Amino acid sequence: MAYQFDRLKVLVVDDSAHMRKLVVTILQAFGIGYIYEADSGERAWTQLMEHHPDICIMDWMMEGLSGMDVTQKIRTDPMSPNPFIPVIMLTGYHSLDQVRQARDAGVNEFIAKPVSIKSLMQRLQSVIENPRPFVRTKVYFGPCRRRRGAEEYRGPERREKKEAAA
Amino acid sequence: MARQQPIELFMPPNILKAKVGSGAPGLDLAAIKRAETAMDKMRGEFADWAATDVDKLMAARARFGKTPDAASRAALLRAAHDMKGQAATYDFPMIARVAGSLSKLIGEVPENKDLPLGLVDAHVSTIHVIYRDKLTDASNKMAMALSSELEKQVEAALK
Repeated sequence: MAYQFDRLKVLVVDDSAHMRKLVVTILQAFGIGYIYEADSGERAWTQLMEHHPDICIMDWMMEGLSGMDVTQKIRTDPMSPNPFIPVIMLTGYHSLDQVRQARDAGVNEFIAKPVSIKSLMQRLQSVIENPRPFVRTKVYFGPCRRRRGAEEYRGPERREKKEAAA
Repeated sequence: MARQQPIELFMPPNILKAKVGSGAPGLDLAAIKRAETAMDKMRGEFADWAATDVDKLMAARARFGKTPDAASRAALLRAAHDMKGQAATYDFPMIARVAGSLSKLIGEVPENKDLPLGLVDAHVSTIHVIYRDKLTDASNKMAMALSSELEKQVEAALK
């Protein structure tokens, strides 16, 4: 049995019209029922307020509000329509440091461009099947940044140092 | 090991799962096949899309030449960065490589220092040539040699 993707609402945010067209075409082929588009971070926020999508696929580098800014706003703005919405970042950034930055902004999943159909499907299925617990601390609100869940973590407490510094 | 700091950890209800139900184990291969077919139909447009990105990069470079300020430098970085991510999708992997080198250069030269414009222009010209000659093969010798040399020059400029 396949997922009933026709019930899903997905927001695609990218300042490149061609990338949006490509991602929208892939999502339509997957059978996603409702797809909304935004060409900027500001427009993304408006679309989030208007349509209450279930998943957001977000470019990082955009003029004005970046994908990271929008993600942080989604997680922490008191006006956010859904602080728990899964954010899949689709970006030209590749480095581990950049993946960490995205994670620290509250991104759930990260896909490095070029666009891969299989990666997109994997990340969609991951946010459905393996949602992360949420964490609230003095300096962070968002998906748990440890993939297997904080309660299983037995290593050194790095977050403690960061928060003490903050 | 007991946690001593105030961390609230909770699992929100899985609304997505409730909406879409359960899928078969593994990836939905039928959906992937449909998407591959749809992407193949679009492939004829990719060269034009790459051309748009090349034009955008050249326009951003021209704007930076006329008004070399923080805004035009940021626009040049965005154009290079977009190309780095998109060109391989559009079947121009060597443009993606050169654009990656260019975005590294623009992104890592401190903002209070001037960009080495000769090296920026060498990247822009190489991208233009790769597009003009439709060098879509990632193992094209000329494109590889140019890319390697540009990457070396960027490493030297960033030292």
